[in-house]
Amino acid sequence: MADTYTPVDNAALLKEVNELHKHKKRPVRYHIQTVVAVIVTIIMLFPLYWMIATSFKSAEEVQLVIPTLFPHEFHPENYLNVLHKANFVKYYWNTIVMTAGILFFQVSTGILAAYGFAVGRFKGRAALFYVVLGALMIPHQVTFIPIYIMCANWNLCDTFLGLILPEAVSAYYIFMLRNTFLSIDQSYIDAGRIDGLSRLGTIWYVLMPMSKATIFTVTLVTFTNGWNAYFWPKIIAKNEVRRVLTVGLAQLKNTFAGQAVSNYHEIMAGAVLAIIPVVILFLIFQKYMMTGYSKAAMK
Amino acid sequence: MKKISRRSFLIATGAIAAATAMTACSGGSTGKANTTASSAASAAPETVDPSKYEVTEPITITWWHALESQYDELVADVVKKFNATQSLITVEAQYIGSYKDINEALVAAHAAGTGLPAVAVANTDYVASYGDSGLYENLDPYIAGTGYDVDDFSAGLLLSSQYEGKQVALPFLHSTQVIYYNKTMADENGWTIPEKIEDFTPFLAEVHSKKGIYGTVVPGWDQWYFETMYLNEGVQIITGDNDCDLNSETALGVTNMIKGWCDAGDAYFAAGTDASATMRQNFYDQKTFSVMHTSSLYNNYVSKCPDFEVGMAWYPAATTGDKNSEVGGCVLGIPSKNDQATKNAAWQFLQFLCGKEVNMEWAEGTGYLPTRNSVLNTEEGKEFLEKKPAFQCIFDNLNLINPRIQNAAWSELATTWKNYMEVMMNQDGDVTSGSNDMVTEINEILEDHA
Amino acid sequence: MKQAAAGSTPVVKADKKPFFSQRTLSKIVDFLFVVPALVLLAVFTYYPIVKLVQISFTDWNLLNDTWKYVGLKNWNWLFAGSGAKYLWNSLKVTFLYSMGEILVTMVGGMLLALLFNRLTSSFSLMRAFVFVPKYVAMSSAAVVFLWILNTDAGVLNYMLQCIGLPAVDWLNQQSTALPSVLMLTGWRVIGYGMMIYLSAMIGISPEYYEAASLDGANGFQKFFRITLPLLSPTTLFLLVTTFLSSMKVFQSVDILTSGGPARSTEVFVYLIYRYAMVDFRMDRASTAAVMFFLILLTITILTMKISDRSVTYDS
Repeated sequence: MADTYTPVDNAALLKEVNELHKHKKRPVRYHIQTVVAVIVTIIMLFPLYWMIATSFKSAEEVQLVIPTLFPHEFHPENYLNVLHKANFVKYYWNTIVMTAGILFFQVSTGILAAYGFAVGRFKGRAALFYVVLGALMIPHQVTFIPIYIMCANWNLCDTFLGLILPEAVSAYYIFMLRNTFLSIDQSYIDAGRIDGLSRLGTIWYVLMPMSKATIFTVTLVTFTNGWNAYFWPKIIAKNEVRRVLTVGLAQLKNTFAGQAVSNYHEIMAGAVLAIIPVVILFLIFQKYMMTGYSKAAMK
Repeated sequence: MKKISRRSFLIATGAIAAATAMTACSGGSTGKANTTASSAASAAPETVDPSKYEVTEPITITWWHALESQYDELVADVVKKFNATQSLITVEAQYIGSYKDINEALVAAHAAGTGLPAVAVANTDYVASYGDSGLYENLDPYIAGTGYDVDDFSAGLLLSSQYEGKQVALPFLHSTQVIYYNKTMADENGWTIPEKIEDFTPFLAEVHSKKGIYGTVVPGWDQWYFETMYLNEGVQIITGDNDCDLNSETALGVTNMIKGWCDAGDAYFAAGTDASATMRQNFYDQKTFSVMHTSSLYNNYVSKCPDFEVGMAWYPAATTGDKNSEVGGCVLGIPSKNDQATKNAAWQFLQFLCGKEVNMEWAEGTGYLPTRNSVLNTEEGKEFLEKKPAFQCIFDNLNLINPRIQNAAWSELATTWKNYMEVMMNQDGDVTSGSNDMVTEINEILEDHA
Repeated sequence: MKQAAAGSTPVVKADKKPFFSQRTLSKIVDFLFVVPALVLLAVFTYYPIVKLVQISFTDWNLLNDTWKYVGLKNWNWLFAGSGAKYLWNSLKVTFLYSMGEILVTMVGGMLLALLFNRLTSSFSLMRAFVFVPKYVAMSSAAVVFLWILNTDAGVLNYMLQCIGLPAVDWLNQQSTALPSVLMLTGWRVIGYGMMIYLSAMIGISPEYYEAASLDGANGFQKFFRITLPLLSPTTLFLLVTTFLSSMKVFQSVDILTSGGPARSTEVFVYLIYRYAMVDFRMDRASTAAVMFFLILLTITILTMKISDRSVTYDS
C-alpha cells in the first residue's frame, strides 16, 4: 500500500498532520494501524461485496453447502428476471417520480419558508418558527394513522400524490436553510433590493448562490431519504402499480423466497438495483455527502 | 351472533355425497342445502329482474390476486381469454402480495371506500370477517338474478365461502393440509405414514433414530397447519359459549405431543423468518423425511425434488378416529362499496374465473384441487388422477375436507395462537401456563368482537 | 420584531388610501412565503396529532364502518389490560435497541475515528468505504443481512463452523434476534459515528497535544485528558440524536424478524404498526401512538435541558 502524504480532505485537516507525523517514530504501531484499518474496511465492505457476488450466481450455486467467494459462472440474467418478472422496472419508475416529487416540494417550500423566516418581516414570525421546530419532534411513525385515513378519504392510496404530499415539507430543510440565510450579511440583501430585485429575485440571485453548499448537501440528504423511504410507501402504496423499490424488494423476499431459499440470487440482484443510484451519487459527491451529516451535527 | 359453531357446521354439511344429494333435491337456484330457506326469502324480489345485473356499457375493472410470479403466465392467459370472450369488460389483473398483504390493502380500501378492486381474492379464513363487516357483497341476489348454477361446486367448498348462510364469495383455488414425504426413502425402509396419531409419534422417533433426520416439520407460520390436529381431537377452539378451549386437557395433550416431537428432535416447529422456505429446502435436501404443508404446492415439490419421488399422505387420524382436514386456498368476492356497474362486470368475471374450464387449468398446472362435482365424481376426475396419482389420498378423503371456523375474531385469535405456540415450542415456554395466558387473551378478543 | 411592532403606525399618509398600506402589504407578502410550509405542516403534522388523541378514545376497528366513543377503554387496555405486557415488552425492546445503537455509534464510532485518523489518500478512501453503508437503502441492507444470517445457507454460520463453532439460528432465537438486528444497524451507523468524531477531532487545536507532550503525557493520557473531554459536546450531540432516531426503528425489524421470534424484537413503532395495519385496531394503535409521542416529547425536552446545562467545553 503506497502511503503518500498527500492532503486530501481540506485545509483544516492539515493541522492534524503534525500530530500524525509522530507515528513515523513508531513504525510497528503504524503498520499495525494500517493492517487493522484494512481489515475493518474489508469487513465493512463484505456485505456489499456479498450482495453483488450473490446477484451473479446461479440458483444452484447459491444453494451450495460451502459458499463460493466468487461466482463460478456469471448469470447477469438474474437482473433481467428481477426487472421484468418481478416488475422492478415499474418500481424504478415509481421511485423516481416519488423522489422527484418530494425533492421538488421540499426544496421549493423549504427555500420559500426559509426566506420568510430569515429575511421576511411579519408579526408572529418567531412564534411561527416554533411551529416548524415543533414539527421536528413529530415523526410519521407517530402520525401515520390519521394521515393514512386522510389520504384514503381523498382517494390518494396507491397514487403518486399520496406518496409525495405527506412528505412535501421538511422542517429539517427549513431549519437548515433558515440558519444559513440568517448567516448571510443583511447588506447583500439590501444591495439586491437597491438593484431592484424582487423577493424571488433576492432568493435566486443573492441567497441561493451564497448558500450553495448547504443547499446542495441538504438536498442530497433529501434525495437519499426520499429514495430510501420505506415506512410511508409501505403503508400508502400497497398495490404494485405504485409500489416503490424498497417495498418491492422487501416483498421479493416474501414471494420469490416463498418458494425456495435458492432465490436469494434474484433478491440480491434486486438489492443491487435498488441502491445503484444513491451509491453512484455517493461516489461522485462523496465529500458533500460525508460532510452533510457532520455539518448538521455542528449546528 | 357473529359465530357459528363448528359442530353445527359439520352436521349441516355432512359428507359431500350427502350434501350433493340434498342440493340436487332442493332444486332452487341458490343450491345451498342449509340456507335455501333464508336466501330464498331475501332473494325472492331480486329474481324477478335479471336485467339489473346486466353489463350494458364498456368498463374496465381490476382484479386483485395473490398469485406470485410462478403463476404469471396462467393469470395472463386467463385474463386474456376472458377479455376475448366478450367485448364490454376489460380486466386488469394486479398482483398485490401475500394473502396477508391483500387483506391489509383490501380492508384499507374498504374503510376509505375508494380504490377498491372489482374482484379480490381472500384466504379462506378471512371470509367470516369480510362477511361480518360487509366488505364482500352478498352474492345471493346475483346468483338468483342471473340463474347462476352453483350446484356444481362441491358442497364443502361452497360452504367455506359463506358467512351466516350468505354466499359472500365463490370457491376459486382450493387446497388442503397434507403430508409430503420422501417416497423413495419410505420404500427403501418399508415405511408408510401411519394412519393413527398414536402410531405417528413412535414413527417419527424411528425415522429420527434410523436416519438421523427429522421425521416431519410442523409449520408454525400459519395456525392452519396445526389447528386441524386440535379439531380432530375434539377441541372446539371457540366453544358454543364463545370461549376458547385451547387450554383444555385435550388441547394441552395435542400441544404437549407436538412439543414432545420437537424436544426429542423427531420434528421441528417451523416459525420465524424464512420458515417456509427453510422448511422446503430441508425437504429438498433430505434433511427431513416429511413436511406438513398445503396440497397446492404439489407441482412445486415435485419439480424441486428430481432425486426422489414425492409422496402425499393424509394427516394421521386423531385418537377420536376423526381425520378431517380443512379447506385452504382462496375464494373470490366482490367488494361491496363498488358501484353497481362495476359489480355487474365483476360478477361476469367472477363466474368466468370460478368456471370449470379455468379451474381445471389451475388444477393441472398447479396443486390446486378441482372444485367441481362434475370433475370430482366423473371420468374427468379419473383422468386427472391418472396425471397426478399422488392426489389419490385427497380424492379418497374429499368428503372430509371441512370449511374453516367462521368467526369475525378469527384473524386476531389466530395471530395470538401462533405467537404463543412459537414461544411454547421454540422458546422453552411452559405449555400449561402459556396456554392459560393465551386463552385469557383470546377470550378477551372474542368478547371484543361479540 | 421591532419592525413588526412599528408596523401598526402608517408611514405614508396619502389622500387616496390604499386598502393596505405599502408596509402592511409587504408584511403580507413576506408572510405568504411561509404559508405553503405552514399549511402542509398543519395538515400533515399537527392535525394528525389531534386526530390521534380523538381516535384513542373510540372503539374504531378499520373493518367496521361505525365507531363510538368508549372513554378510557383503550388506555385501560394498554396499561392495565392484556395490552400492558406487550406495551412494556416493546418499551423494553426499544430501550435495549436504543442502547445498542448508541453504544455502537459512540464507542464504535470513536474507535474507528482513532483507527482511521490518518491523512493519506488510501485512508481517505477507506473512510469512504466505511461510511458508504449509511447511504445503502435499509431494504437492500436488510435483505443482505437476511442472507448472510441465514441459518442453513448463510455465510456467517459457514464461517463460524469453519472455526469450529456451532451454527446459530440468528433470527429465530430470542437471545440472538435483537443482536442480529443491531448487527445490521451497527454496520450502517458506525461510519457515521466515525465521521462525526473525526470532524470534531480536526477542530481540536494541536497546541493542546504539543503542551501535553512537553509534560511527558503518553497517548492514552492524551486521549483521556484531552481528546475525550474536548469531544464531549460531540458525544452529547450523538447521544441525543441517536437516541431519538433509534426510538423510531422499524424497517430493519420489519424485514429481518417481523417483530419475532415471540415478540423479542417488537419495537414500539412495530407494535403501533401491528395494531393498525395487521389487526386494524385503529383505536389501540392510536392510543399507543399518542403514548409514543409523549415519550418522544419527554426525551426531547429532557435532553434539551441537559444539553443546555452540560456543554461547557469550547472547541
